[in-house]
Amino acid sequence: MAPTVPSPAKSASPSQPSGKSEVTDLKQQLRQLAGSRAPDADDQRRDVFKRVISCMTAGIDVSAAFGEMVLCSATSDVVLKKMCYLYVGVHARNHPDLALLTINFLQRDCRDQDPTIRGLALRSLCSLRVPNLVEYLVAPLATGLKDPSAYVRMIAAVGAAKLYHIAATSCLDAELPAALKALMLSDPDAQVSFHSTNNDEIVLQLSSTHYLCIYLNCLICNCRIKEFSEWAQCLVLELASKFLPSDNNEIFDIMNLLEDRLQHANGAVVLATIKVFLHLTMSMTDVHQQVYERIKAPLLTLVGAGSPEQSYSVLCHLHLLVMRAPMLFSSDYKRFYCQFSDPSYVKKLKLEMLTAIANESNTYEIVTELCEYAGNVDVPIARESIRAVGKIALQQYDVNAIVDRLLQFLEMDRDYVTAETLVLVKDLLRKYPQWSHDCIAVVGNISSKNIQEPKGKAALIWMLGEYSQDMHDAPYILESLVENWEEEHSPEVRLHLLTAVMKCFFKRPPETQMALGATLAAGLSDTHQDVHDRALFYYRLLQYDPAVAERVVNPPKQAVSVFADTQSSEIKDRIFDEFNSLSVVYQKPSYMFTDKEHRGPFEYSEDLSNLTVGAETSEKVISAQRYQENDNDLLLSTSDKEDIGTAASNGSASTYNAPSDLIGPSLLSSQTPSETSLINPGGPTYSSQSNFSLDDLLGLGVPEAPAAPPAPALTLNSKPVLDPGTFQKKWGQLALSLSQECSLSPQGAASLMNPQSLIRHMQSNYIQCIASGGQPPNYKFFFYAQKDGATAFFLVECIVNTASAKAQVKIKADDGTAAEAFSALFQSALSNFGLS
Amino acid sequence: MLQCIFLLSDSGEVMVEKQTTAHRVDRAICGWFWDYVLAHAAGDASKVLQVVVSPTHYLFQVCRNGVTFLACTQVEMPPLMAIEFLSRVADVLTDYLGDLNEDIIKDNFVLVYQILDEMMDNGFPLTTEPNILKDMIIPPNIVSKMLNVVTGKSSNLGNKLPDATASYVPWRTTVIKDASNEVYVNIVEELDACVNREGALVKCEAYGKIQVNSSLPGVPELTLSFANPTIINDVRFHPCVRFRPWESSQILSFVPPDGQFDLMSYRVKKLKTTPIYVKPQLTSDSGNCRVNVMVGIRNDPGKPIDSITVQFPLPPLIASADLTANYGTVDILADQTCLWTIGQIPKDKAPSLSGNLRLEEGLTHLHTFPTFQVKFRIMGVALSGLQFDKLEVKNTPSAPYKGFRAQTRAGRYEVRS
Repeated sequence: MAPTVPSPAKSASPSQPSGKSEVTDLKQQLRQLAGSRAPDADDQRRDVFKRVISCMTAGIDVSAAFGEMVLCSATSDVVLKKMCYLYVGVHARNHPDLALLTINFLQRDCRDQDPTIRGLALRSLCSLRVPNLVEYLVAPLATGLKDPSAYVRMIAAVGAAKLYHIAATSCLDAELPAALKALMLSDPDAQVSFHSTNNDEIVLQLSSTHYLCIYLNCLICNCRIKEFSEWAQCLVLELASKFLPSDNNEIFDIMNLLEDRLQHANGAVVLATIKVFLHLTMSMTDVHQQVYERIKAPLLTLVGAGSPEQSYSVLCHLHLLVMRAPMLFSSDYKRFYCQFSDPSYVKKLKLEMLTAIANESNTYEIVTELCEYAGNVDVPIARESIRAVGKIALQQYDVNAIVDRLLQFLEMDRDYVTAETLVLVKDLLRKYPQWSHDCIAVVGNISSKNIQEPKGKAALIWMLGEYSQDMHDAPYILESLVENWEEEHSPEVRLHLLTAVMKCFFKRPPETQMALGATLAAGLSDTHQDVHDRALFYYRLLQYDPAVAERVVNPPKQAVSVFADTQSSEIKDRIFDEFNSLSVVYQKPSYMFTDKEHRGPFEYSEDLSNLTVGAETSEKVISAQRYQENDNDLLLSTSDKEDIGTAASNGSASTYNAPSDLIGPSLLSSQTPSETSLINPGGPTYSSQSNFSLDDLLGLGVPEAPAAPPAPALTLNSKPVLDPGTFQKKWGQLALSLSQECSLSPQGAASLMNPQSLIRHMQSNYIQCIASGGQPPNYKFFFYAQKDGATAFFLVECIVNTASAKAQVKIKADDGTAAEAFSALFQSALSNFGLS
Repeated sequence: MLQCIFLLSDSGEVMVEKQTTAHRVDRAICGWFWDYVLAHAAGDASKVLQVVVSPTHYLFQVCRNGVTFLACTQVEMPPLMAIEFLSRVADVLTDYLGDLNEDIIKDNFVLVYQILDEMMDNGFPLTTEPNILKDMIIPPNIVSKMLNVVTGKSSNLGNKLPDATASYVPWRTTVIKDASNEVYVNIVEELDACVNREGALVKCEAYGKIQVNSSLPGVPELTLSFANPTIINDVRFHPCVRFRPWESSQILSFVPPDGQFDLMSYRVKKLKTTPIYVKPQLTSDSGNCRVNVMVGIRNDPGKPIDSITVQFPLPPLIASADLTANYGTVDILADQTCLWTIGQIPKDKAPSLSGNLRLEEGLTHLHTFPTFQVKFRIMGVALSGLQFDKLEVKNTPSAPYKGFRAQTRAGRYEVRS
């Protein structure tokens, strides 16, 4: 509407010049209309209000007219009221003092006869969000929650959540949560009931996962969920996916009740249901498989039938599932054929899925289909499909036919096709050296002049060097390439050329000697550091001993069996846990792209240790900041970074931190005994048995205490520092030192409601947690610890099952000899959990 | 939760801004988004990913008729929920305003604000059922009618609140006045097919929808059954459909909302043939490419096939194109695609398009072969073969008029060459 604004305004008041005076003009008109009782005054006001709001939308600052707008708001016309509410809602926060003016008329409207007006007024009142006006808000809200009209009750329920965000205490003081609880359980209107639940913080305040379970039970088992609006269903299902049924029968009951949700017209409901199914059956392998079978059809329909916007999101989820269980989708391969009209990001996903589901039975069709894409007008997709063919070839045992197809690509005589194919042929030869004869025959015919792309060229050169004994004119091709050294811009190609000439030299010395000399000379004078260094290295190696040089350059090679996977399975699991969220669309777990502050409403528990301010937090704040910065570097701009920095250092809450602050105290209090003993290491506590090991860890040593167990030989560094990247690397490199099962105390198992409690406990034993996750009853933790005074780290993977009170512990250590001692220490710490 | 919704015009201008939570989203985000659109899709928002990461927010966008619905959030949430919601907003606005484009939005922005206000509060969807919304905010066309005919006073707000918020069937207002006592059921199918280079049918399936337009008084009970429900592979239902009768005996039992809605959508896979064939041939040598495309009826559906068009992008690196058809018209469109409009296939001859493409200097052969997209429409037939058995209407004062129709269109029907 923006551009239309000036013209009607001008035509309405031609005397006004324009521009800045627009607002003044509006102000004046409003003032005139304020007291007017003329019969058409409302229509005139409506016109002026419209102009004010269109100015507002166009980005013009109309806050100057605030007072006049409020004056004009005393009207019975509902549309006028709505426009006024909108205006007030936008500007109140910047003009808290003026906002006070509106309270009066809003409060009056809250008592209006018409439920629509009551509702609207209440909504606007709650949307003012001016902290010092909260006192005026509580009473209307409390009345609103008991209003006879469902519409008003619903708005009041939403309003209570808004109030909670600005002033939690006054919300609690007014006992709104209790009123909400009543609504939630007994309100006849499903919408009201839902919106009272949707205040997750308030629900938490009612303490309780326990409570939530009852509620969910009541919802799902009474089929009440079907009365909810589709959006409410989405959110309740999301809650349900966190819900832990007590036994398998309950799981089946829930699944039976929810099964028809898979056929809902709203894709969001379908996806949320799928998430519930997947999570419920996580521990039952065979049922999990059946779930996959069951959800396949709805997902495939969603992909095909929905709007393009929806189908992309669904496709991302499908992609995730296909990657997890390619076998199950292998008969549906035709569903993933690319259509010409698909956008290229969709085609890319489909290609990846086709690659994943290829197996013995469908490879022929899939590869045939992929080959058709190679001639696609869309060049990036053509490339992708060639790569896909290559990947399938690398997966399969029977590569015969595929190799032929790949070689046919080379005959297509298009530079990017040739380049991609060469790279693939190279990879294939590394895995299946037995195909070298067929490939070399074709590759030998390719003129290196036709290949422009560095990757393709490098691949060709690699093959020339590697198979120079089989390729008749390899030395001469290489020689001609060396002659054009100057024109070769890519250092990668030059490096490959250096090595290839070396290899060729050892295989066919007389023919290559000339070329080698030229190559080394060119390499030595190269401006690129790597090229120069490698040339120098070869030169000196040859000078030192050609036999050694041959062993270095041309060692006997083993065929590569598996190429490195790009995404670790851990990350994939993590994404799977976050099914039906943005993580799936980005193909990254949420910690890699969200900053802590804005994690979803149900993710708060993970941040607790970092955000709550304990007595000993100086160390923690640092680590929290470090984490946050890590997160931020991934995504956020600097301005946001500062925000979070401050948020972390004073532990204060912006709106979204509220939940964590809420639970903080309760957690802290449950931990107090061990914490206090930590905080006052100077005041040794000999009295309690359970504190001995703690004291030992602190290095205090209590040898004189008669009942003390022999002090463990190992002490741990109290502040080890290990970043997640290094952890991951180490975990991958180190061999398993120890793997055993140990048990938790029943109290410990019972108190392990979320990963945080154990993490804090282990921290108090100087064992730090680097990552954790899981759904009850299974939690997975990664811990690390460092030997005091040494650099050696201990890495632990610990899978806890709270139902059986058992833990699977895998320990990897830099220093294998200390692993036993550390294991004992770790186990004693673990078994103490919940006892202290 | 969605923190803010913007409606943008096709030049990136903010037409409506609706903040829904305490967190205020600066409208600079729209500028960022538009720069992104310009950079990635040359200003065409419909070609951008639906979920975009900006430095400060995650953006969901849905583009309809040049109007971009942009929602911002900083919280993890189910992406499909946001996208479904935005699509719903677009549908509701289209329903209200008759159409959706920049001018209409600008002319009715007050109405748009009112609707958004009822559809979303505090970041969560509130009321999205069109019939409930219409009780709260009366659509402009009725308003103007009332305004002109009855009184001079206007208000586009319902004078009483809908009963349906508390009703057991939230999609239907309990009291429907002036119903004309008729119900129309319509099968609309889209045929997706893919024919490969050798002329073999790679895949062929139908997506169908059953659209119902109901104008019945009271709370009618409808049951709809099919003659051959077993051919359906997968179904999705409007919330009004009861699940159990379908599970046990494939009967659709429902209380319909008032007006037009999609009762059910389904998929029928593995169809054996397509009604028409399109056979393209491209041969190239010494800088010339001969094109020949034949179109004809393969499998007569028994009703006339009309609106047949064949469209294909001209391959890149073409110096000139000279294409003619013995029937219908051939146009080269601005985006380098050739559109051959056939209409109905004549009785006496087989339509064919032929001609010559001159390749650019230095090229002898054509390397990329175009994909031909085929469109057609058949009235009166559902190609999947799905047929109604009967429709029963109970609980109405008098027997309503019942109408049935069927139609099949080509969805994504592609022939590769």
